Amino acid sequence: MRQVRHITLAAGALAVLVVSALAVRPGEPAPDFTAVDSNGKSQHLADYKGKYVVLEWHNQGCPYTKKHYESGNMQHLQKEWTAKGVVWFTVISSAPGTQGFVTPSQENDYLKQMGAAPTAVLMDPGGSLGHLYQAKTTPHMYIIDPSGTLIYNGAIDDHRSSDQADIKNSKNYVAAALSEAMAGKPVTDSATTPYGCTVKYKD
Amino acid sequence: MRALLVRVIAALFCLLSVGAASPPEKVQAKHAQVEVLSRQTAVRPGQELLVGVHFSLEPGWHIYWVNPGDSGQPPAFTWQLPQGFSAGEILWPRPERMQSTAQLADYGYHGDVLLAVPVRVSPSARTGAAAITLEAKWLICREVCLPDRAQLQVSLPVGPEARDNPATAGLFAANAKRLPQPFPAKWKATVQTTKDSLVVSLEIGRTLSQAGFFPLDPGQIDNAAPQKIEATPRGATITLTKSDLLVKPIRVLRGVLVLADGTAYHVEAPVGAGKGIK
Repeated sequence: MRQVRHITLAAGALAVLVVSALAVRPGEPAPDFTAVDSNGKSQHLADYKGKYVVLEWHNQGCPYTKKHYESGNMQHLQKEWTAKGVVWFTVISSAPGTQGFVTPSQENDYLKQMGAAPTAVLMDPGGSLGHLYQAKTTPHMYIIDPSGTLIYNGAIDDHRSSDQADIKNSKNYVAAALSEAMAGKPVTDSATTPYGCTVKYKD
Repeated sequence: MRALLVRVIAALFCLLSVGAASPPEKVQAKHAQVEVLSRQTAVRPGQELLVGVHFSLEPGWHIYWVNPGDSGQPPAFTWQLPQGFSAGEILWPRPERMQSTAQLADYGYHGDVLLAVPVRVSPSARTGAAAITLEAKWLICREVCLPDRAQLQVSLPVGPEARDNPATAGLFAANAKRLPQPFPAKWKATVQTTKDSLVVSLEIGRTLSQAGFFPLDPGQIDNAAPQKIEATPRGATITLTKSDLLVKPIRVLRGVLVLADGTAYHVEAPVGAGKGIK
């Protein structure tokens, strides 16, 4: 009997592992999460059903993140799409001691200084949200539709570079996907290869 | 007064010539020495030259392969060449897999790496001194990543006689051993696709217990997932985990196969659905 229970426990542990390794594929339900933002508020993805949600992986020291912030490109996207009702979560998964790790107050100063306008910044120093979404780079972008389905996983645009001069010649995949989805069309490029720095995970 | 004028003019010429100085062959860049080298010291019109950019990286730092994997960016060269010269593509040596976490892996190089490029010299190329200039851009990373760039130049005469460069022969020869070779005609590679995997079947005429596959196209396989290799009497099967980003079927899996002894081969394997496809 005791042995049986052990086996059940082992099977249960395995099930959790399998769940956490679920694919983050466009067309499938986006993994739900709760995370604390830079103002100490708890943010629960399921509370935003009915809205589009953008996730943006961020590291303020990464040259690829800098490309999109020092040019104003990311802030422009944040303002444009949140004005259209999109919920925009910037996510920081840098572990303490690594590039891009910031305290909540440092992050709030950075937002002010850069004129950034996400709905909230989710603080993920333990990396659990990053691992849940298998975020690979900064930036790495995801879009979740009002039904909770992932409709985009990938790069911010089609120019793998850290050069601001490339932005004007780039196709912005996030803007394109949101435009198509809001017009009731299927997303043409729903999965692209993200580019940037490695997310600086704890493990 | 006149002497002063002469001096001023001479000084101006000096300044001008400094301003127009040709780019160096070698630069000390961020955490790397970067040097342009030629396999030849003289070239004949109608021949092909081999020019390489040699990166000597500080310990711990790396640069990237043509498919950088989960992050990073491959080096890129922009050429300024004399009339009649044309540069080809970088001959990428076999990469290393650099795993940073259980979920993330990149492809690139540590230590010394030579990125060679064939440069075609047309039969009508003018004879005399030829300057080969390039702008190299690359990303170098350890825990953090730094974009960098350099202007480099190497000059050599175009004339009736071609000459090999004894100073670089060893480096180019060592590099040639790291370049993937064409897939032998007698070998066979096919891919079956299952829900979550791409299974590469290799027939090479002998059993293979160790090998690594490096995908040339991004977004097809999970770079960090362990590759499962199973030896067969005449080869092996390598099971690769599909990338979450692979949402459309692929017809061909392109990549580089690296064997245990370091020899590497280009692979272009047709992809079929399920078992039983030849």
